[in-house]
Amino acid sequence: MTALVNPGLADELARSDGFDADACMNCGVCSAICPMGVDVEVRRLFRYVLLGMEDKVRAETERVFSCLLCRMCEENCPAGVHIAENVRTLRHHIVRTGFGLGEG
Amino acid sequence: MSGRRIGVYVCQCGGNIGDYVDVDKVVEEIKGDDDVVIARSAMFTCSDATQQEIVQDAQEQGLDALVVASCSPKLHTVTFRDVAKRAGMNPFQYTQVNVREQCSWTHTDDKTGATEKATRLVRAGINRTRLTEPLEPIVVETTPKSLVVGGGIAGLRAALGLAELGLTVFLVEKEARLGGHVAGYGPMFPNDRKGSDLVATLEEKVRANPAITVFTNAELMAKSGSFGNNQATIAIHDGDKLETIQVDVGSIVVATGFDDYEPAAGEFGYGLDGVVTLPEFKKMVDEAPGLLQYKGRPVKTVAYIYCVGSRQDESLEGAHTYCSRYCCTSAVHTALEAQKLAGDLRQYHLYRDMRTYGKYELLWNASRESGSLYLRVPDDEPPAVEKLSSGGLKVTTRDLLTGEEEIAIPADLVVLVTGMVPRDNAELVSVLKLPVGNDGFYNEIHPKLRPVETIVDGVLICGACQAPKTSSEAVAAGLAAVTQSGAMLKRGYAELDPMVATVYADLCTWCGKCRAACPYDAIEQVELDGRQVAQVVKTACKGCGGCVPVCPEDATDLLGYTDAQIKSMIDGMMEVSCS
Repeated sequence: MTALVNPGLADELARSDGFDADACMNCGVCSAICPMGVDVEVRRLFRYVLLGMEDKVRAETERVFSCLLCRMCEENCPAGVHIAENVRTLRHHIVRTGFGLGEG
Repeated sequence: MSGRRIGVYVCQCGGNIGDYVDVDKVVEEIKGDDDVVIARSAMFTCSDATQQEIVQDAQEQGLDALVVASCSPKLHTVTFRDVAKRAGMNPFQYTQVNVREQCSWTHTDDKTGATEKATRLVRAGINRTRLTEPLEPIVVETTPKSLVVGGGIAGLRAALGLAELGLTVFLVEKEARLGGHVAGYGPMFPNDRKGSDLVATLEEKVRANPAITVFTNAELMAKSGSFGNNQATIAIHDGDKLETIQVDVGSIVVATGFDDYEPAAGEFGYGLDGVVTLPEFKKMVDEAPGLLQYKGRPVKTVAYIYCVGSRQDESLEGAHTYCSRYCCTSAVHTALEAQKLAGDLRQYHLYRDMRTYGKYELLWNASRESGSLYLRVPDDEPPAVEKLSSGGLKVTTRDLLTGEEEIAIPADLVVLVTGMVPRDNAELVSVLKLPVGNDGFYNEIHPKLRPVETIVDGVLICGACQAPKTSSEAVAAGLAAVTQSGAMLKRGYAELDPMVATVYADLCTWCGKCRAACPYDAIEQVELDGRQVAQVVKTACKGCGGCVPVCPEDATDLLGYTDAQIKSMIDGMMEVSCS
């Protein structure tokens, strides 16, 4: 299936203060080092956000919430991406839009 | 016995020679040969210590000629010529015998045979040396003037540099104005100075320099002469009038630049409304009146497709298989400039590999942080560009970084990041005999050590006519050509290798066969004592020997490799050892 780039999500999330993945260079250190063995590749997840692929992001809900926010990945990220902060922003987004919570 | 006093040194080259050739046996075999005053073996003949020993032996024994049997002449001829000179001998009475590449390395399975072959080769070398004459380098006076062909940024900077060295400069530009591509550019990486400003500053200095004469609407039509002294014919177009002038120059600097790659119709949607090349897009950004617009419509989303016209599949006819080097950084820089015009501009970069090498990497980082999104696309599945019924464009591709997800990007503008292609300059190539590579760019002698010299003496190349280059690289090459010109011309004279052809005028009957055989136009017909004979232009002769075997009267010879020497070498090789 061809996914149409949706700048809306990108604008809402990718350009918000809480999310930053522009510097990510897809090295994969985050996935390699995750103590939970979280099987979603964060780098891929973040690209879905940057590209505005809402469905793909939603499909990763389980994994987004299984993160411990231990920041091991963040400490080791060579590009200085605020990975844990990004995950929190995504949780917020999913809760707000997916479950209709937090509006207002 | 000829009365010569020859020293012979046979090298072990560590084990390179010594493991397969019995070097001591070779020395034993030849040490009693006629005229051999001293014969020795050495572990590393090229070492400082052994060089010093040779000098000492030569002085003690009064040697007048030297033979070293070691590696390829390409490696150490100059080294040992220098040793001979230091020892008071004429450097051209030195002979290098190759017993490594052409003996020990090729006969590792046959030590006896290798040793015998080495003996024969050394004996041939001794025989050649016996017949050497002292030769002196050919000294030619050089003309302290340079001709620069091409008035782009590299040519302009080269012209200025040459003038600053104190050389007289003629600058020939085909177009009506100077500055080439760069004159049309706005802000350029890495420091955002406008190309038009850079060129204007350079042009002002060039025009104000009394040592530089600028010819626009002009072309180099013909060139003759030889090392350090060329006559160039320049044609200057003035409306319908054509004027030609002749100038004498010592060096010629070719800085004819590149052409932008022009995509074929339909290549990545080229030809569709809204599909533009990088130079076209750069111009739009440079000239944007506040907001970025295309044909009066605001531009909100831009998709870039990289490597257009570069790194093409070699199975395509006339493929440009090289990387054009400047385009990644230029596209990234242009995207940053565009983002300055509109903060909410969405930019998608479809790349194969990002090559913002060196310090330019920081621009790429800045561009990602400013909101540009980079998608890595497969080499073998190029992005597809189509026109939507709504009037916009759509680019479809696979993003390798999300696991080959197929992605469609709606865009107002698609920028094809086009590369550099060689310029078609067939006439100049034929006038200067420029060496053209398979890729269509001009070839230097050595990419690292002789990066602006060509095989044509005194003709230097620089800038993007050599290969795709950024403007700073082009200018650096231009200044390298300045230095090389200075090295050739500032001393006022040059020393050329004296191992050139010679004509025995008394034997010559002028049939013209030698002139026809010469690839360098180095043989002239002259009158001598009422007879027509051939004469070698020593400064043009390269010593290839092409004229020697064609002479029916045996009137031509090559100094250093005379017929007599070659015959003596053959005799030396055929001689059977006594032992």
